Amino acid sequence: MRRREVVSFLGAALALPFLPRNAETAIKLGESLHHRLGDVPFRTLNREQQALVTTIAEMIIPETDTPGATSVKVPEFIDLILTEWASDDERATFLAGLADIDAHSAALGTPRFVDMLPAGRLELFTTLDVKRTDKTGAGHAVVRLKALTVYGYFTSRVVQQDILKTRMFFNGYDGNVPFTPAV
Amino acid sequence: MPPLTYDAIVVGSGISGGWAAKELTEHGLRTIVLEAGRPIDPAVDYVEHVPPYDKRYRGMGDRKRLERYQPIQRQCGACNEYAGKFFVNDLDNPYSYPADKPFSWIRGRQVGGRSIMWGRCVYRWSDLDFEANAKEGFGVDWPLRYKDMAPWWSYVEKFVGIQGRREGLAHLPDGEFMKPWPLNAAEQKGRDILLTKFGGERLITNARLAVLTEDHLGRQKCHLCGTCHRGCVTLSYFSSINATLPAAKKTGNLTLRPFSVVHSVIYDPRTKKATGVRVVDGNTREMFDVNAKVIFLCASALESTRILLNSATAEFPTGLGNSSGELGHNLMDHIMDGGATGTLPWAKDRKEVGRRPDAIYVPRFRNVKTKHPEFLRGYGFEGRAERPGWQRGSEMPGFGAAFKKSLIGDLGPWEMDFGGFGEMLPRHENYIEIDPNLVDAWGIPALRVHCAYSDNELKMQEDMVVTATEMLEAMGATNIRTYKENNPPGLVIHETGTARMGRDPKTSVLNSHNQMWDVSNVFMTDGACMTSTANQNPSITYMALTARAVSYAVGQMKKREL
Repeated sequence: MRRREVVSFLGAALALPFLPRNAETAIKLGESLHHRLGDVPFRTLNREQQALVTTIAEMIIPETDTPGATSVKVPEFIDLILTEWASDDERATFLAGLADIDAHSAALGTPRFVDMLPAGRLELFTTLDVKRTDKTGAGHAVVRLKALTVYGYFTSRVVQQDILKTRMFFNGYDGNVPFTPAV
Repeated sequence: MPPLTYDAIVVGSGISGGWAAKELTEHGLRTIVLEAGRPIDPAVDYVEHVPPYDKRYRGMGDRKRLERYQPIQRQCGACNEYAGKFFVNDLDNPYSYPADKPFSWIRGRQVGGRSIMWGRCVYRWSDLDFEANAKEGFGVDWPLRYKDMAPWWSYVEKFVGIQGRREGLAHLPDGEFMKPWPLNAAEQKGRDILLTKFGGERLITNARLAVLTEDHLGRQKCHLCGTCHRGCVTLSYFSSINATLPAAKKTGNLTLRPFSVVHSVIYDPRTKKATGVRVVDGNTREMFDVNAKVIFLCASALESTRILLNSATAEFPTGLGNSSGELGHNLMDHIMDGGATGTLPWAKDRKEVGRRPDAIYVPRFRNVKTKHPEFLRGYGFEGRAERPGWQRGSEMPGFGAAFKKSLIGDLGPWEMDFGGFGEMLPRHENYIEIDPNLVDAWGIPALRVHCAYSDNELKMQEDMVVTATEMLEAMGATNIRTYKENNPPGLVIHETGTARMGRDPKTSVLNSHNQMWDVSNVFMTDGACMTSTANQNPSITYMALTARAVSYAVGQMKKREL
């Protein structure tokens, strides 16, 4: 956990019976508190929205022989962007779009997308995935979710280091290297 | 504080200031470099190898901070979560412009200036460029021709270290080149096709870059991490921090003073020379003077002219050295963001290893051999072919295991982009002045900028779209996406002019040696001096002009004529 996040987390916990005397103590305390409470770094998405975002992120990039979106904490990254990076309007439009995804699910007979049967989820998400030009609603939310999921996944430590094996040092440039897709 | 006294003052430590410092100190002059911004420690400030997962927003930038403190600077893509610290705080460094004429002034105030995050593209001019004003009746004639500049370009190129391919083009002369990185498979095929279909008129060549492909003067060859604008711990690209300032320091004649914001030049009407400069300490706000025999203004085009506009005297009520009335006028930039991107059908079995910071260049082909009916001058294209890899995922249909596998295991097709950079004509009505109602964080009067593109530039930009599309079509590209952005001038970050060189003191501010006609011991060798812009990236020309001007100034001092 980042130092700044821990201190911020502590700052919000005014009910603590005592305050640490220095930053290092604060961080250790924060980390232990964090572990006791479990992973609850979400600040914008409520529990229902977390479940929806997590479900869709994992649908976009599922766990296979390599980690999926959830295990590299893409939902947490999306929450960070919504909380600290997005404008108020963008955040509101996105959250309304999430609600609209559930509205689509409800129209098909299941009030929440996460409660749909896998086949139903697949069918509905396939429908929404092609609504790329929508500026609001479920189609817009899916576009943003997809962009943030792909970005959050491929810029994560695990994927950069272990899957993409990103290098920063090359002995020279070669633009004519044989390549066979692994798909 | 009593005045500090040196042989020479250099204002600014960027591309031009670094060269002035190197040349002056190597000629034995005790030289002080006054830099408005902070010092840079490469070990701390260079962040080119920091991975995205070590940045809070994974490189997307601290958007709210950027919007609050750098609303202008953030228009430049390099002002991001990594390199935003190399761009100024817009609240501390205000300027104004009329509502209908926005101008994007992108600045770096630190030791090294914008040489830390510059584009590193270096192209010589030819007499096609130097003679254009005189032949076409725009602005004034350059007091220089290619033969005057060629030895100085060679001189600076040998020190800078430049990679490039020799093409033998009369209108884009070859320089002192190291072996370039090869074109990639897609670019090479594109070059072959264009050579055939356009008879050599439209040529894909290697970008000429101030990035080393071999070890050079104590700097290591580039390791191809691809993020030069964040710094370079191996000193592989040229900057004043990486090259000229260390050379100046080695002489023992250099004093580098950060946090020194130059307010004005001090003029002595009895001798008709400058005695020094007035400086505001960036931290204490204390004002003090620095005296010297010769002054080089290298603070960037607009900043150097701002200093002169803030140096008005009874003799020069509209700005020091402004007997011509041209000081502040003839502001130029380039025009960019006309072009196209397309998907190439071939080389799917080839990939790149290593990330080049820049790739290809298409030299100017308009108004070279034949006259274009709609506009004067011309443009070149920067570009590259690359395979997008996982980054194509957000635009790609699909999801799930196969989608993921494709993003990891395939690279997508080669995408080729051509983005134009065109010349802007010098016009008197594009100018800067002091805004009477605005000061910066150090209490120094700030600028008001009046600048707009003319029809000539806008027609050129339209033509960029047409010719980029033609080239992609010739290559058999599909999914061709054209673009033509309505950017304000300034955003190319090639702002030039406002104290032009010329042959006549009645119509220009500087003579052929970058020396002020009116104040003979003041030289301006940054972008302010430019009489026209050509379409080439300008920095290597500033470097050559600076070295040339220092040589002249030192000669004059030895003859006691300064």
